Amino acid sequence: MLSLNQLRFQYPNQLRPIIDISSLTLAKGENLFLHGQSGSGKSTLLNLVSGVLSPDSGSIILLETDLGVLSQSKKDAFRANHIGFIFQNFNLIPYLNAEQNTLLGCHFSKSRKNKAIAKYGNLSHAAHAILASLGLSESIVKQAVHTLSIGQQQRVAIARALIGEPELIIADEPTSALDENAKKEFIQLLFNQTTKSQASLLFVSHDTSLKSEFSSQVALCDINVGAQ
Amino acid sequence: MNIVNLAKHSISSRKSTLILTIFSISMSLLLLLSIERIRLDIKHSFANTISGTDLIVGARTGSAELLLQSIFRIGHANNTMSWHSYEKIQSIHGIKWTVPISLGDSHKGLSVIGTTADYFKYYKFANKQALSFAFGNRFEQSQQVVLGANVAKKLNYVVGDELVISHGTGNTSFHHHEKHPFRVIGILNPTGTPVDNGLHIPISDVELIHNKTIAHDEHHDHDHDHDHDHDHDHDHDHDHKNSQTTQPKQITAVLIGLKSPVLALQIQARINRNNEEPLSAILPKYTLKQIWQIVSPFEKTLILMSLSVLIVSLIGMLALILNTLSQRTKELTILRSVGAPPRYIFALICLETLFIVLISICVSIFTYFLLFTLLAPALQANFALTIQLSWLSASQMQLIGITLFLSLLLAMLPAFRAYQRVLSIGLSNK
Repeated sequence: MLSLNQLRFQYPNQLRPIIDISSLTLAKGENLFLHGQSGSGKSTLLNLVSGVLSPDSGSIILLETDLGVLSQSKKDAFRANHIGFIFQNFNLIPYLNAEQNTLLGCHFSKSRKNKAIAKYGNLSHAAHAILASLGLSESIVKQAVHTLSIGQQQRVAIARALIGEPELIIADEPTSALDENAKKEFIQLLFNQTTKSQASLLFVSHDTSLKSEFSSQVALCDINVGAQ
Repeated sequence: MNIVNLAKHSISSRKSTLILTIFSISMSLLLLLSIERIRLDIKHSFANTISGTDLIVGARTGSAELLLQSIFRIGHANNTMSWHSYEKIQSIHGIKWTVPISLGDSHKGLSVIGTTADYFKYYKFANKQALSFAFGNRFEQSQQVVLGANVAKKLNYVVGDELVISHGTGNTSFHHHEKHPFRVIGILNPTGTPVDNGLHIPISDVELIHNKTIAHDEHHDHDHDHDHDHDHDHDHDHDHKNSQTTQPKQITAVLIGLKSPVLALQIQARINRNNEEPLSAILPKYTLKQIWQIVSPFEKTLILMSLSVLIVSLIGMLALILNTLSQRTKELTILRSVGAPPRYIFALICLETLFIVLISICVSIFTYFLLFTLLAPALQANFALTIQLSWLSASQMQLIGITLFLSLLLAMLPAFRAYQRVLSIGLSNK
């Protein structure tokens, strides 16, 4: 589903490439744990995979589409349609409520919007259903997001990433703001959801304690020649 | 949730920090709109003060002075011209009508105009609009007075009331012509010109009331001095029927209408050349323009100053938006992650700025109408300035347009900053 080949990327002001990966693949429905310390180039890699940055050479094939041939605005649209993002913290837009934050996930994607409507009838139902399946009660849905706990906020972030069932979920250190118990719970919720929608999960973290939960694991420092 | 709603939510979430910015922009815009309205209305009422009069003649003086004195009743009518010269002017070929006016007396601080009944026929204002009566009629005989609209309103006079005229202008005059009271015979409709603040009496009475006063004074003096060395002739024995035929010796100015306006320059030159008595003839329309030109740099400065106040508040807004931008990096990253193209970020920031300015414009327009609805009576009463509370004038709309344009232009800066920022940081977690 996702495959990187001979991927190289170098920032203009740096002497050597920060990314130099000969090959990395992610199958449909696979949960991949990508271990990366800070400075290992993981942010850059995620920016490349999501089409925010363009590689100097090599290819990124996502869903049989070569991101390299797309224009910047096509890449933005492609990301909107096929990738759901979960960040470390401050995942939500502070002035929107939980429902509005969730719906932001399909705001820029007609296909995700249509999928959500097809499944739940309308967008509001879709948001409510997904939030409910993540254990967020109805009373929370219309609340200002800053009144929610960090754990609740991260679940809203999952809902936003998953609404409209994008094929790839990228989670960038999503658990680092959570305590041990909440981490495990968060990952289980995430697995449940990605399994339901048959999405692939690219989970990036420096926290190796989570590694065992995943079906496959890769250390970025092993595959990225650039960072060595 | 479209971009407009998103911008709305974003703005309303930062109400407390934005409220001062909105206040400052709307107040400076209010200042601008108000100054423009007052400027327009002053100009309007100024230009509309007199029309249909081709020439004004008075004793030799500057043209602005003569106009201000005879029409606006500003300054002292020290200079007079003789009745003889007036009669001579009347006989000039090409003159259609003449109306003599005599100033210098007052009633409770309001100026008294001695004139003929023709004044009500020939004095025109605005678009050659004639004076009209709200109550009563023009005077027909001695000791009758026609009041301007403001005089009646201010002093609560109705037709039939009696009043006494003072010698000299101003409220503190000591000479009251008490022996010669006037009966209110008519009250004019408002005109928005100095006519509203005038009391009109027959010109023959001006001479008469002066003589009465002098006669009155003389009785006091009798014990000390029996000399009759006054320059005045002692007409005070005349009864009123006779006095109506009395001709004044001196008048302040003459309003002249010509058979054809083409003759104006020629007749002006002729009167100015008069060698019997030094006289000035002016073209009121032209002089009005001249006086306005003296004022116009001042009005432009006022507009420019209030425009700079507005620009300062817009820059204040800009600083605030730029300041908050760094706190919003994460928010913009989230938008990027869900697929917002950089141009969407640009548009969002522009839209937010536009909203702030639009809210400010609405607040300022609302306050503007509120303010002038409340202030209009006071402005009318204290400055004789009629504020037109119709919808905003074209020039006011233009100022609002300029405001919008300026703010859009300024909004480009933070919008572009945000655009660059989202491109450079990508989807970084920081």
